[in-house]
Amino acid sequence: MLVYILKRLGTGVITIWFIATATFTGMHMVPGDPLTTERGMTDNIRENLERQYGLDKPVIEQYFLYMGNMLQGDFGLSFTEENRRVNDIIRESFPVSATLGVLSLFFATMGGILWGALTAIYRNRLPDIIIMFLVVLGISVPSFVLAGLSQFLILNLNQTMGRSILPVAGWGGFEYMLIPSLVLGLSTMAYLTRLMRSSMLEIANSDFIRTAKSKGLSTQRIFISHQLRNAILPVITVLGPSIAIITTGSFVVEIVFAIPGLGRYFVQAVAQLDYTVIMGTTVFFGSFLVLMVILVDIIYGFIDPRIRVQAAK
Amino acid sequence: MSKTLALEVKNLSVEFDTYGGVVKAVRDVSFQLNKGETLAIVGESGCGKSVTVQSIMGLIPTPPGRITSGSAKLDGEEMLGLPTKLLNQYRGKRISMIFQDAMSAMNPTMTVGKQIAETLVVHQNLSRRQAMKEAVDLLARTKIPEPEQRAKQYPFEFSGGMLQRAMIAMSIACKPEVLIADEPTTALDVTIQAQILNLLQDLQKEYELSIVLITHDLGVVAKMAHQVAVMYAGQIVEMGEIDDIFYHSRHPYTAGLKAAMPSNKAHEQDLKVIEGSPPDLFSPPKGCGFCARCDYAMSICEQRPTPKFQISGDHYAHCWLLHPEAPKSERQKLDSFMKSERSDVT
Repeated sequence: MLVYILKRLGTGVITIWFIATATFTGMHMVPGDPLTTERGMTDNIRENLERQYGLDKPVIEQYFLYMGNMLQGDFGLSFTEENRRVNDIIRESFPVSATLGVLSLFFATMGGILWGALTAIYRNRLPDIIIMFLVVLGISVPSFVLAGLSQFLILNLNQTMGRSILPVAGWGGFEYMLIPSLVLGLSTMAYLTRLMRSSMLEIANSDFIRTAKSKGLSTQRIFISHQLRNAILPVITVLGPSIAIITTGSFVVEIVFAIPGLGRYFVQAVAQLDYTVIMGTTVFFGSFLVLMVILVDIIYGFIDPRIRVQAAK
Repeated sequence: MSKTLALEVKNLSVEFDTYGGVVKAVRDVSFQLNKGETLAIVGESGCGKSVTVQSIMGLIPTPPGRITSGSAKLDGEEMLGLPTKLLNQYRGKRISMIFQDAMSAMNPTMTVGKQIAETLVVHQNLSRRQAMKEAVDLLARTKIPEPEQRAKQYPFEFSGGMLQRAMIAMSIACKPEVLIADEPTTALDVTIQAQILNLLQDLQKEYELSIVLITHDLGVVAKMAHQVAVMYAGQIVEMGEIDDIFYHSRHPYTAGLKAAMPSNKAHEQDLKVIEGSPPDLFSPPKGCGFCARCDYAMSICEQRPTPKFQISGDHYAHCWLLHPEAPKSERQKLDSFMKSERSDVT
């Protein structure tokens, strides 16, 4: 198992190196640079700034310099946020994004498993039809539409009640997190519901469920100890990609709800070609995702013993 | 010597709704299983053997399946039509079942020991720890080496034969009266097959088990069975003691089945086959289901359902040839065919 984890971490490092290099190349191919602003700038000032940020050196040298710093855990100085280190930006805003992400992932998986199991039990009956209709909606409506819509609904709710029940935007306690994380997790929840439903139905027809019935186990017992655990496996498989969907979705949701998370900095940085912030956030997000996928694979091994042994070999 | 009945099935009929129409999978099947004996149900694939026993166990998915008539009495108590809750007081406890492919019939994410213990926890109110101990004991009794370690392993860590043993251990956990074995050795190679059959015979003696054995292998029948029921196209066509079926069979299908058994004589290169294929069960023939493939078919066979003819004692067959007015020439043809087969077998 340890060898397996080390192997996965090794490939993870290569993946991250690839992400960093691709981002670096792509970024430098975009016309202009961080110092290109509307404000006029004399050549003299520009030269000084270029020297300060190392932009006067050839791109290849910049690349190696940057990679060297990155290996030491230093993502450099931001171009647009004066005198702020990228590390500080990440340290301050990542917890916000992570809270949002974890919460919405929680809603998505719990909801997906619950609704999926429910639709499978009530297959082709009214609850199934209603939930599956909502699932199609959830998958097709993009999160920025949902975000706006939910703000509108909160506003109306607050007005009719005459007091503020839920905040429309901003960041603070749990009441601020609730709606954004639901909005962020909804499409994933819908997707997982569908996955869970089909996997539940598939398992229900499998031979070992028939065996369990022949043993005289109650329907509830079969459901909990035989059906559910096997049906969850495909859901866990897609957890890795789901985390990716939720993190990328958070860029949009954070902006709509004015949440001071990492996604907002990322979007701003791209718009302003803030080289160091782009690199820092991308590499950071990339490493986070790679780590999550590895983690999911390890969890998978705990639930399905067959994977565990294959991995150990 | 009077025999008591362990399981009595009467006039069982099962249908399935499919997109193509209603399949009449089992039609008016009746059989009896004596206590401590083995009844073999033989027949080719798709003749309704498995559907018959799964209906008794309440394992037919409904819908699309439907038990249209019949009764199945376990030691005189009716099992058909019971709600799941009541049925569960029989299933696994007094009547249990083993399946063909043990690898897919066991839960892949649960240890073998736990799957065996589960039955004990549910039916005998044992604690988890007691049940696990009992499960290890059962594994040992089915001759699985190192049962303590094996109990902690998952099905994929077992070989096919070992897993079939574990499934047998699971099925006899509550000392049932009746064990239904649905092609228990079909997925195994021949040497393992013999071991599993020996194990079943030993357990039968030890627990006084009554076994319903489903198979299409007449060799297995010869080794195991006391009684044999031959099924064709959803019906039992001939039934009797093992010697009746092997040496005095009167139905052309049974004769064909026996002739189709491969022999190890050098001069017989080709396998004998029964020409044709079973009838369409969407609209089963009015008369005898086998008449389209039968060498001895008469015009009445197509038109009228075959009644049950008693041949001797418990030996019955459904065939118009047994009617006293049936033409002598056809009967003699069948007799001489069977005689030639018999001289081959012995």
